Amino acid sequence: MLFEIGRVCLKIAGRDAGKKCIVIDNPGTNTVLIDGETRRRKCNVKHLEPLDKVVSISKNAPPAQVLKAGEELGFKGLVEQKNKKEEKPTAPKKQKAKKQAPAKGAKQQAKPAVSPKKAKEEKAEEEDESAE
Amino acid sequence: MVAGRHKSRTLKRVHKRMPGGSTKLTFQKRKPKSAKCSKCGIELKGIPRLNTAKAKNTAKSKKTVARAYGGVLCANCLRMKLKAQARA
Ligand SMILES: [Zn+2]
Repeated sequence: MLFEIGRVCLKIAGRDAGKKCIVIDNPGTNTVLIDGETRRRKCNVKHLEPLDKVVSISKNAPPAQVLKAGEELGFKGLVEQKNKKEEKPTAPKKQKAKKQAPAKGAKQQAKPAVSPKKAKEEKAEEEDESAE
Repeated sequence: MVAGRHKSRTLKRVHKRMPGGSTKLTFQKRKPKSAKCSKCGIELKGIPRLNTAKAKNTAKSKKTVARAYGGVLCANCLRMKLKAQARA
């Protein structure tokens, strides 16, 4: 089988064209599930160019496993994906950040009271008046 | 009779309707030619024909294609290029 699980491929169509990926599921139809430098997505085999490498990877491998395999293969741009996936489980932390946000807002509200812009405008007006 | 500098047909002649209802002959810059694939010469899709002034105020994403070599090669030529690289 050409597009078996673990086959390293090159994507040749779409916005991920030129990026490498690993087949992680093949249901036997025209489409396979891929992950790697590309986004994790279903893909028509017509849009893939199989390369000569096959890695040992489980069916529907989790992103962490794909990342590890990709690092061994020398895939590029994997770090960004790793960070994104780490951020997702830490959603409750963001809520904490929101609680802190009002404090920042208070500071911003305090700024207009100082109103350096207004002070400048007033100065400019005064200058204009003096010029007249 | 048009002015001497407008006889060369470098500029495009456009009849514009004025606010008062009359029409007036105006001379406007011609549109640039459409973008072509550098390999096969086919017209590229998704690349608008914009003059410099209008192109400046248009977002980059609206003037190019998100693919690798977008705006330079057509999809078929890119596919052939990538396949050739992979098989070499
Ligand atoms: Zn072409």
